[in-house]
Amino acid sequence: MEKQALAGVKVVDFGWALVGSFTGKNLGDHGAQVVRVESSTRPDLTRMDRTVSTTKGLDDNPMFTHFNTSKYSMALDLKHPRAREVVDRLIRWGDVVNANFTPGTLSKLGFGYEYIRGIKPDIIMAEGSAYGQTGPLAQEWGVDGTGAALSGYLHLTGWPDRGPVAPNLPYSDVVLPLFIVTAIVAALDYKRRTGKGQYIDASMIEVCCHQITPALLDWEANRHLQTRNGNRIAYAAPHGIFPCQGDDRWCAIAVFTDGEWEAFCHAIGDPPWTKEPRFATLNSRKENEDSLEELVSEWTKQHSAEEVMKIMQAVGVPAGVVQTVQDLLEHDPQLKEREFLVPLKHPVMGVFGHPTPPYKLLKTKAQVRTSPCLGEHTEYVCTEFLGMSHEEFAELSAQGVFR
Amino acid sequence: MADSLLSGFRALDLTDEKGFVCGKILAALGVEAIKIEKPGGDPARGIPPFLHNTPDPEKSLYWYAFNTDKRSITLNLELSQGQDLFRKLVEKADFVLESFAPGYMDSLGLGYEALKRVNPRTIMTSVTSFGQKGPYTQYKGSELIASAMGGVLLTTGDPDRPPVREGPDSIYFHAGAAAALGTILAHHHRQITGEGQQVDVSLQGVVASRTFTNLVIWEFKKSLIKRSGYVRKIGARATRWIWQCKDGYVFWAFMPGKFGAPANRVLSKWIDEDGLENPLNKVTNWDDFDLTAISREELDAHERAIAKFFMSHTKKEIAEEGLKRGLNATSIDSPPDVLENRQLEARGYWVDLEHPKSDSTLMYPKQFFLCNQTENFVKRRAPLIGEHNEDIYVKELGLSSTEIATLKKTGVI
Repeated sequence: MEKQALAGVKVVDFGWALVGSFTGKNLGDHGAQVVRVESSTRPDLTRMDRTVSTTKGLDDNPMFTHFNTSKYSMALDLKHPRAREVVDRLIRWGDVVNANFTPGTLSKLGFGYEYIRGIKPDIIMAEGSAYGQTGPLAQEWGVDGTGAALSGYLHLTGWPDRGPVAPNLPYSDVVLPLFIVTAIVAALDYKRRTGKGQYIDASMIEVCCHQITPALLDWEANRHLQTRNGNRIAYAAPHGIFPCQGDDRWCAIAVFTDGEWEAFCHAIGDPPWTKEPRFATLNSRKENEDSLEELVSEWTKQHSAEEVMKIMQAVGVPAGVVQTVQDLLEHDPQLKEREFLVPLKHPVMGVFGHPTPPYKLLKTKAQVRTSPCLGEHTEYVCTEFLGMSHEEFAELSAQGVFR
Repeated sequence: MADSLLSGFRALDLTDEKGFVCGKILAALGVEAIKIEKPGGDPARGIPPFLHNTPDPEKSLYWYAFNTDKRSITLNLELSQGQDLFRKLVEKADFVLESFAPGYMDSLGLGYEALKRVNPRTIMTSVTSFGQKGPYTQYKGSELIASAMGGVLLTTGDPDRPPVREGPDSIYFHAGAAAALGTILAHHHRQITGEGQQVDVSLQGVVASRTFTNLVIWEFKKSLIKRSGYVRKIGARATRWIWQCKDGYVFWAFMPGKFGAPANRVLSKWIDEDGLENPLNKVTNWDDFDLTAISREELDAHERAIAKFFMSHTKKEIAEEGLKRGLNATSIDSPPDVLENRQLEARGYWVDLEHPKSDSTLMYPKQFFLCNQTENFVKRRAPLIGEHNEDIYVKELGLSSTEIATLKKTGVI
């Protein structure tokens, strides 16, 4: 097997739901040994999602797989009186501890950072949460939408004459883990140089607010309140989604420069309206954007979305089909080239597409393995990683620790 | 002052707006980031908004926002003398960040293979619309195009209108985070093995990585999830997320079963206290409440009552009183609201930075995360065009003032 970026790094992974699971996946896909500690007494939310899986089982959910590739699964009931014996050994084994329970939960279980550091002083521990580990709202309930609401993201998304809207996909839950993994890997390097461990406290809201910094500065400096603006932006026109042939088919077109505008006009056959002074400059196009969008739509409606994209791209105008996930899976040659999904066999669900990271290390490539069944590697982890004897494992197992 | 996680490393940042965030993150982690701009300044300095609404390359608030902690030098990479200077800088650079069209750096003799010969340890991170290889590699893109091609755009917006983009620069931000992570992973490998490499980030790929719930539903059930306005559909579950209130909007997820039960009970009680019509109080067992098992009429009646309730309160009331009661609702905050968030304030989230073009300081987000042994903060405003030419070209590379004058005259810097 080719060398991977995190070869030799050992991760004790208490992460769950989306944020915690995705953190561990990014580490595991790059070669870290990630032991996901979970329990049938409190299964992961995505193991229980019934959108796709039709059984009450915990091992037939592809949503779980999407966030949990390249991990080992150890079943361990953290509330069991003898769980500590196993956790202590895991911590001694690990370089990194990942968790994202509600702040305070691990401490209540007796496995907070102070305890963990007592066992392994140079441990790197990261905890992700909605609000952060400290502050008046630290213990509050939070999900993907909490980050979207409190960061200004929802306020800025939608049409000017209507309320905010949200995509039918997560944002905060997917972005926060990237920062947590960045912090963990940088901390590994810092430890290699200084011998010091690290505790990392990552808050979803704090990460998400960064993206609206221009709108914050606009308020502070100019007292200008930015709000929803559909698909329009101040420095491009046309910049929008245009209707094409077919049912709910659209193409995005974004014209930033004068050169792109000329190319755009030429590509649609230089109709007379494109020569009108009201469309001659970016400023005038912005002033007449309603009419401009109508005229562009009249042209796009005569073509398929794919044709519009190809015609525009052929002359160097940014354009792209508003793709469905069916397009991503079945038609998009670019995502295929990048191995967006790799077909892998899962022991229960069979072969289906597993996601690879969208950032590609060209020399030390990510290598994705299918997600584990709950507790699939409990014995393996205990005996191979933690050095437990088979007798010891059997004894603890009989006590009901591994469930 | 404490160390930062990556103090002592250096990045050359050639990116435009597609890649600003990557260098911003690295810089907050202590990397010395040097922005290399065209003589006259990076064209992205033309992106609004502007300080005091005055278009000026030195006053782009967009540029300020995503180039904190960087230094700036000017350099024309299209001239051979510029390329020589760049190679000199690469000798001592741990990272090179760029977002040009694939092949452009190669055409200048500055592609990864060429830079590897100058410094085999260097890591080159490339953020592009579609990636370094493949049939769309030369396609032009932007945030909107990436959102379209990556499958997120179709799922956003009101059903009776075209799909709508995410308002903030969410996709560039996400891509910047992915690029920073890829860079740090490559760094970890390099510090152990001495081997550099190229990291290839595609905006489209980054967007597509968010589509997992919908992908799985297509792959296994051949059903497409599209846009649904203020209702959030994750998997088969449709949850109304966004409600209008007296003075704005609030986020409250109307969720079934045990997960939603505590908040649903609180809400029903609160509606009763307000003396409003309350069909919710007919639900006897919230733990078993199933949104898909009740009739459309019943659901509509519930939603009407909830909508009326929210309309009778301000977003502050919902957020503050809801917090005490356990409603799990938050206000949908505007930029000024964000600046006043008391949790952010309590955690020391803001930093005041001066800028020579502004008579007052501006508040910026300070941290991406907190660490107990290191400080990884936004500390310095974005640089002026070529503000550090002297530091780099004279003090570091040892060029004389005559040489500098010649380079300026010939348009190299």
